[in-house]
Amino acid sequence: MMIVIAIIIGCVVGALIGLNIPTIPYTYSSYLAIAIIAALDSVFGAITSILNGKFDLKIFLSGFFVNAILAIALTYLGQKLNVDIYLAAVVVFVGRMFNNLGTIRRYYVEKISNKKIFAKAEQIIKKAKKEEKQ
Amino acid sequence: MKKWKIACIIGLTCILLTVAICVQLNTMKEANSTVSSDYAENNLRDEVLKAKQKYDETVNQLDQKEKELAKVREEATKDSESASQKEAQIKQNNNLIGVTDLEGEGIEILVQDDPNVSTETIGALDSIENHIVHDGDLRWIVNVLNNAGAEAIAINGQRIVNSTAITCVGNVIKINDVKVASPFTIQAIGYQASLMGIDMPGGYIDYMRDWGVVVNIKKVNKIKIEKYTGALQSKYMQIAN
Repeated sequence: MMIVIAIIIGCVVGALIGLNIPTIPYTYSSYLAIAIIAALDSVFGAITSILNGKFDLKIFLSGFFVNAILAIALTYLGQKLNVDIYLAAVVVFVGRMFNNLGTIRRYYVEKISNKKIFAKAEQIIKKAKKEEKQ
Repeated sequence: MKKWKIACIIGLTCILLTVAICVQLNTMKEANSTVSSDYAENNLRDEVLKAKQKYDETVNQLDQKEKELAKVREEATKDSESASQKEAQIKQNNNLIGVTDLEGEGIEILVQDDPNVSTETIGALDSIENHIVHDGDLRWIVNVLNNAGAEAIAINGQRIVNSTAITCVGNVIKINDVKVASPFTIQAIGYQASLMGIDMPGGYIDYMRDWGVVVNIKKVNKIKIEKYTGALQSKYMQIAN
């Protein structure tokens, strides 16, 4: 719950800051785009690992920054070699993002269906108890 | 690991992420295109922008240097009377050939294509050519203004100097090798009463109005005319013996 609030507050504050600072030159916008994709992947990965209870702050922070920097570096290299390496980065990051999103979805779906099953089980137990009394 | 610490750090990274996304969105809005995979195109775009900036900077520097030069000249010629006379002469000549910004009383003429006619609404027997401003019209106006004693003339900021050509290039008009289009603002410095004579009844302006061309003439007490920014070249002429 706390984490959801933190994410929402972060997004609002970030949007307020981001809309009021100057833009970057057009050439660098592709680097920033790939860094954004990498960072997004890290954040989704973090949420997944929190849900799984395997969250490690060091891994998250290093992944957030190093992935972004590596993605920029690879994009730069690809530009120099005239190979669209950034496409590979996009495929990998977005693929992982979908995986993580799938994990998050499954976690919540299972949680909800578990709740229903528990509720049903409780009803059955209650019924059985009532019958026992009678 | 405490939960609030995790929440704080994830919140901070979210701030970073949304800032980056917003900057990117703004940049793309300014660039007015989606993410382009063509780096060559991006580089060209950047180079054009850079060249433009460099050009502006250089023009500014030139302006500054010219001002400095004028100051230096003034100081150098302050003490000698003949030198200061020559300096005044140079200034006068610069004003005459059109390489200085000038201001003074004069008139401003606004000439605009017929706003009621377009290629869609024009009749079958009529031609759009009868309703637009031609290079000849501008030449005629400049000629009459010169005849009326105009001391400086500019059309849409293009100063008329002795090497100025007004020519037709398709649907725009080229003045000083710069393309200009309707509406044209013609500024002229000179004696207002005689310049206003351009609007005499039965004159060329009247004909232009008959075709539907919009012509507005007004007196302006302090008109500012920009200098000629092109190069004044002379290769073949020499002073005759």
